[in-house]
Amino acid sequence: MKQARPATLLLPLLLSSCDYQSYQSTFSDAATEVRNFNILFVVFLVICAFMYVLVIAFLVATIARRRRAHANVVEAGKHHESDPLMRTGLIAWGALVATGLIGLAIASFFTDRSMASAAAHEKLSLTVTANQWWWDVQYNASDVSKTLRTANELHLPVGVPVRITLRSNDVIHSFWVPSLAGKQDLIPGRENDITIVPKKVGVYRGQCAEFCGTQHAHMALVVNVDSYGDFLKWWQQQLRPAFAPATPLAQAGYNYVTTGPCAACHNIAGTPASATVGPDLTHLASRRSIAAGTMPMSSGNLYGWVEDPQSIKPGSRMPTIGLEPKQLHAVVAYLETLK
Amino acid sequence: MSSRFSVSTLALALAVVAFAGCDREERHSRSKPLGETVPAGESPDTILPGGSQPPAPDPRAKLYDNNAPAIAEGQFLYTRMNCVGCHAHGGGGMGPPLMDDEWRYGGRIDQIAATIAEGRPNGMPAWRGKLTDDQIWKLAAYVRTLSGQPSKDSVSSRSESMSATTPQTLTPREPVHNSDTAER
Amino acid sequence: MRRVNTALLNVIAVVACVGLQACNKNQPGSSSEPVPSGQLPNGPHALPDRAASPPDDGNWVMPGKDYGSTRFSGLNQITPANVGKLVPQFTFSTATTHGYEAPPLVVNGTMYLITPYPNDLYALDLTKPGAPQKWVFKPKPAAASQGVACCGTVNRGAVYDAGKIIFNTLDGQTIAVDANSGQQVWRTQLGNIQKGETLTMAPLVANGKVLVGNSGGEMGVRGWLAALDEGSGKLVWKAYHTGPDKDVLIGSRFKPFYPTDRGKDLGVKTWPPEIWKLGGGPMWGWISYDPASQAIYYGTGNPGPWNADQRPGDNKWTTGVFARDVSSGEALWFYQTTPHDIYDHDDINESILATIPWGNGRRPVLLRPGRNGFFYVMDRRTGQVLSATPYGYVNGYRGVDLKTGRIAVNPDKEPKPGRVSRDICPAAPGLKDWNPSAFSPVTGLVYIPHNNLCMDMAVQPANYIAGTPFVGADVKMYGGPGGYRGAVTAWDPIARKAVWEVHEDLPTWSPALATAGGLVFYGTLDGWFKALDARTGKLLWQFKTGSGIIGQPISYRGPDGRQYIAVVAGVGGWAGGIVENKLDPRDPTGALGFTNAVKDLPGKTTAGGMLYVFALQR
Repeated sequence: MKQARPATLLLPLLLSSCDYQSYQSTFSDAATEVRNFNILFVVFLVICAFMYVLVIAFLVATIARRRRAHANVVEAGKHHESDPLMRTGLIAWGALVATGLIGLAIASFFTDRSMASAAAHEKLSLTVTANQWWWDVQYNASDVSKTLRTANELHLPVGVPVRITLRSNDVIHSFWVPSLAGKQDLIPGRENDITIVPKKVGVYRGQCAEFCGTQHAHMALVVNVDSYGDFLKWWQQQLRPAFAPATPLAQAGYNYVTTGPCAACHNIAGTPASATVGPDLTHLASRRSIAAGTMPMSSGNLYGWVEDPQSIKPGSRMPTIGLEPKQLHAVVAYLETLK
Repeated sequence: MSSRFSVSTLALALAVVAFAGCDREERHSRSKPLGETVPAGESPDTILPGGSQPPAPDPRAKLYDNNAPAIAEGQFLYTRMNCVGCHAHGGGGMGPPLMDDEWRYGGRIDQIAATIAEGRPNGMPAWRGKLTDDQIWKLAAYVRTLSGQPSKDSVSSRSESMSATTPQTLTPREPVHNSDTAER
Repeated sequence: MRRVNTALLNVIAVVACVGLQACNKNQPGSSSEPVPSGQLPNGPHALPDRAASPPDDGNWVMPGKDYGSTRFSGLNQITPANVGKLVPQFTFSTATTHGYEAPPLVVNGTMYLITPYPNDLYALDLTKPGAPQKWVFKPKPAAASQGVACCGTVNRGAVYDAGKIIFNTLDGQTIAVDANSGQQVWRTQLGNIQKGETLTMAPLVANGKVLVGNSGGEMGVRGWLAALDEGSGKLVWKAYHTGPDKDVLIGSRFKPFYPTDRGKDLGVKTWPPEIWKLGGGPMWGWISYDPASQAIYYGTGNPGPWNADQRPGDNKWTTGVFARDVSSGEALWFYQTTPHDIYDHDDINESILATIPWGNGRRPVLLRPGRNGFFYVMDRRTGQVLSATPYGYVNGYRGVDLKTGRIAVNPDKEPKPGRVSRDICPAAPGLKDWNPSAFSPVTGLVYIPHNNLCMDMAVQPANYIAGTPFVGADVKMYGGPGGYRGAVTAWDPIARKAVWEVHEDLPTWSPALATAGGLVFYGTLDGWFKALDARTGKLLWQFKTGSGIIGQPISYRGPDGRQYIAVVAGVGGWAGGIVENKLDPRDPTGALGFTNAVKDLPGKTTAGGMLYVFALQR
């Protein structure tokens, strides 16, 4: 094991360098949980590969022995137990297997323990509620007037253990950000949780990992891991209510959004639109994607999404309203001010 | 021989059963045609002066009545758009019950859709402009399940809320009395 | 300090004792025999406030009878000895069949009746036989307001002051009508039905200000109390019940007794961002006034939505008691009865002004039978809670810590997303809802007509759309332990226990009236109008009216000098909605859960709206 240790530490790094990308990869080392998983993976791989090679070697040896003449003869009266070589061999094999299994068990135990200890010292608490087919994200704070509600995109501070409480409003979903942690289901009627300690600043992609309906494939989320200072700045910025519309076109968009069908489902803080059915739009324009990772955020995509969501994400709850072109220009102009 | 005969009959029976459920499951997710509107529902008890004919039933009704995805979407909207806040799970409260056999403004799906879109005196809000017409038709399809009107293979067998009324697959079908007496 | 006239007290006591001996008939009825559980208070007991409760002049000019909200009539012609001879004198149909919660007003020979929607105001001439109608004023409120009234299209009463009858309409207007001619004097629009706001409460006129509060805690409405100038109807001040201190009229005079109620802008800080704007805390109940200190006392309604998971924090200033200066509206103190309310336990119940013996003197207090099941005795100068004792079965709370003032919620009963919390007592209407109790200075007891209901509750995410309900909960109610659903309890606020208790099959949704003659009057949900002996709770007389009674009974002196008892029978409101609105009993969550508790009511009564006036048979 002593020689194996530098190798086991090196292998995860080797593995991660194998990938062409690290923003959605189980072999990345962006968080403590994933690093632990990767070390465990390597330990299992090495031990099991070793055993596999041994078994194959014995199999090959047995097949090769057949070529000799007297391999088939079974000598009468001779039993395997009385063959000292066989007995030593079996005992050695048993000891080898036992050692291997104990090694696996110890590695697994230590991995679990490190995950649990992270969970016991959480410093930040989030609640993620999965809906068909988007993520409702709420940041909890002991001062309730600082709680924050957003959708489909998380910001996490690097190095800080964060505990995410997972709930679902309809069917079973699964929270999976491969670069940061393993999968954890969101089950209606139950609260699960997952603890993540991000270690590397960056942007990571996650997605729903439990089939949840027509648009399960379009239920992704983005996790930004920021430095602690940047994270606090982001939280402050998110607490601010939406900017008032500055141009007449944006004002027309504001009027439509707050009095028309948009306000029946969406919340824009600081405006009369206070509904909770759909994602919170207060800072929509500061996000990287639209409709839970379905499309990247851009002006053209916003136009397409607002005008006809059913052709992009058919079956999703956002209806195709059929806006007039002028209304569409106004609405998108207003939405783009929601930074 | 007889086994071949029974195999082909079985295959035919399966095909019939498979295709019979097609309409029930058809989704209209593009909500086409986009220009559709909810009709201004006429009351069934209206006097038709001079022997004029009652208008034909709305053709769009077939798309939504007895349509399982529409009823499921309607169930979602019924809770989230606060219909449940006034009408409970059919029993009523601020608003009249929807699970009984009295329909002040008509109990056909197009009449219910018209009620939702236009609002009614005595307090039913007008949802035209707040919900799309497609959403209003879906709500109307769900409202009809509260009194057991649609076929039992298109309704949800599970309620999303605290167990209150009988499951929809067991809801008895109420007769629809087309009564126009606005009682309040 | 102040002592009641002992001679008068002795006379009344002697008359009552004689009456008790003479009248021992056992009348059949649907209520049980009274359950005696304590002694009548001997020695000095609670007394009404002198300034707030002047001697009875034979009229009934404000819903609570007097500023102290005692609902006590000083008339004593009708006694336990002769109440068996109480018979109807005349009736009047209000031409409405909605829930009737208001008291008739009687001012110098004219009776005024304000109906539920459409809020017609009738004036009846009591000097003529049969009390013919003098005039009717029809304000014609918007019909759509019926769609945003959570718990019946009720009206809790009008008020008389300086020659005017002042009342609220369902669609948010306050109207002053000349008491003689029936002509409108002024009309002010205060509420907006597009936001789900209605006005159902009875205004109070104090120091030239008409005090009006809104309804709509189930509609995401931001609650407030406003004061209009009595002569012109113009808005003088408006105090909100959520939001920054300047909106709540919290200034330098604000001195809450408990530390959790102190801080800056708590109406914003104890809510998630922006949620306080939909926060609730409406004032749809009762206001008391102390003319000596010019302070008003009232409680605020529930926070919105019912799904408390959407609004973590204490949610100030909802479900608590305010004391304000009546001229400026400035808050003097506040006590939050139920921080972060999770059961819809509005705190708008009546605050009876009284004094209780304390040490060598007397202490000015508020007596409040709370919705959350606790009977509060509070020092009205500071807001300190002197005692908080359950007056019925309560398992949703563990008790009130008198040091911190904080109520302890039972965590097992807390409705949480993803589970149904069962067997929560008291249910959402509380141990007692809006229907006010009566306080008798003769016995020193508070007569509380109340419920015995428990509930199952499940919460879902509530969606806010202005003008529609903002609730997020499914509720199913049923009778509490013992099987009876209502009761009338005679409570001794000093000994902190019940002296007697009468059980009722149906929830008791009617207010109580106490008289100097020694009687307590109330009505049942299926229409029985009853008189109990104030000392023992024995049923002495009852009369079956045409509809369930949820309205305030009153007593007045007629032009002929005789004592009359009047009540309007018309079932409805939250409890009677199943009859008033013809709801379907197969859905137990109907009427916010009340349908399940009174599934048998449609078989026991029908809708109505009839005035009954009784007097002793000649």
